[in-house]
Amino acid sequence: MLPATAVSLAVLAVLLAWPVPALLARARWPRRDPLVALVCWQSIGLAGGLSMIGALLVHGLSPWGHSLPEAVRSVLTLHPAADRVRGDHWVALTLAGVLAAELLGVLVLSWVRTGRTRRRHRELLELVVQPSAELPDTRLLEHPAPVAFCIPGARPLLVLSSGMVAELDGDQLAAVVAHERAHLREHHHLLLLPFVAWEAALPVLPAAARAHAGVRELVEMRADDVALASLSGTAPRRTLARAIVAAAGGAGGVEVPSGALAVTGSATGARVVRLLEPPRHLPAAARWAALLSAGLLLLLPTALLLLPAL
Amino acid sequence: MATLGELERAVMERLWAAEGPVAATTLRGELAERGVALTTVHTVLSRLEHKGFVVHDEGRPRRFRPRATRADHAAELMHEVLGQAGDRQAVLARFVGSVNADEARLLRELLSGADDTPGD
Repeated sequence: MLPATAVSLAVLAVLLAWPVPALLARARWPRRDPLVALVCWQSIGLAGGLSMIGALLVHGLSPWGHSLPEAVRSVLTLHPAADRVRGDHWVALTLAGVLAAELLGVLVLSWVRTGRTRRRHRELLELVVQPSAELPDTRLLEHPAPVAFCIPGARPLLVLSSGMVAELDGDQLAAVVAHERAHLREHHHLLLLPFVAWEAALPVLPAAARAHAGVRELVEMRADDVALASLSGTAPRRTLARAIVAAAGGAGGVEVPSGALAVTGSATGARVVRLLEPPRHLPAAARWAALLSAGLLLLLPTALLLLPAL
Repeated sequence: MATLGELERAVMERLWAAEGPVAATTLRGELAERGVALTTVHTVLSRLEHKGFVVHDEGRPRRFRPRATRADHAAELMHEVLGQAGDRQAVLARFVGSVNADEARLLRELLSGADDTPGD
């Protein structure tokens, strides 16, 4: 018979692999509080991986003991298995090993690969960008297309193109810079990394792509919120919305294959709508309920793995 | 005292502006107002070579030239940094991703609609 712990973990893994991410991706409340939604996504990702690998591990090791700590102890002390070890136990153990290695391997690989590309981009840029006179941490790139971006990392680089400077007024530029600074200060690239890796590791799982897109959109909305808080002026929301539309309107200069457009396009539209017609703030009770669920979601597989068998 | 990054930019500017390959001593002469030693010029040049931006010939003394013209460098930059390949999204955070013409028009309509209504 399968241990109850393994069954519970497997049920949790299935829920977190499909229905839960699908629900959160479709929900309307995340745009009312992107930060809380980002915490929920991190919790879903971590708990999902933990329960998937945990279920296989608990089942595979069940002949050695009915809880993970018990089984690991008897394996380490070279005790023989109490029950007969069947083929499905070996299959589960192998799958657990492969899955753990793949998830961690892909995470490390994307970390190394994006790090290398970022360094290359920084080297290419550093030869041609000029420090900005008005904005101390900002560099100017001579290019007609209105673009702004930052390269995160140990030595972050925040770049505005001359086309962007020409297109926007002072308040709008301040809004753009505040948005990019928010990405850097809150290390949004680290929030995205597990989802980039997760999508690469599990391309057959539609939830992985959906989760990645959801987190990417939320990170942009969060940066918009942080930027708004730091902006002066009469109508910061409209200022930021104008900056987004101006940057989107003149995105020429770089040829873009049409396939990649639908996703980014609708996300940009959602940002502008959200700025022009701000949704109500999430009530404090709902906020705390979401955070509490995120915490419990992480606690559940951890407890199932570490506590003695049910 | 200029930082290495600034010196790299200054040396590349000279190399791009030059008619042909340039020797390190010439570069030091051109950077005289910065008070740069010849060893520093060599350090900067070897860093630039290591990054793949500069190549040297086998003459004595060695003369250096940029691997790509300024225009090619700019083109490569825009292609690599702002290209739309999927992994680019992970590398940098762009203020607004690329948007097609229809989407851009839609966004402008959205904005002008909001401008007609008073208040924020």
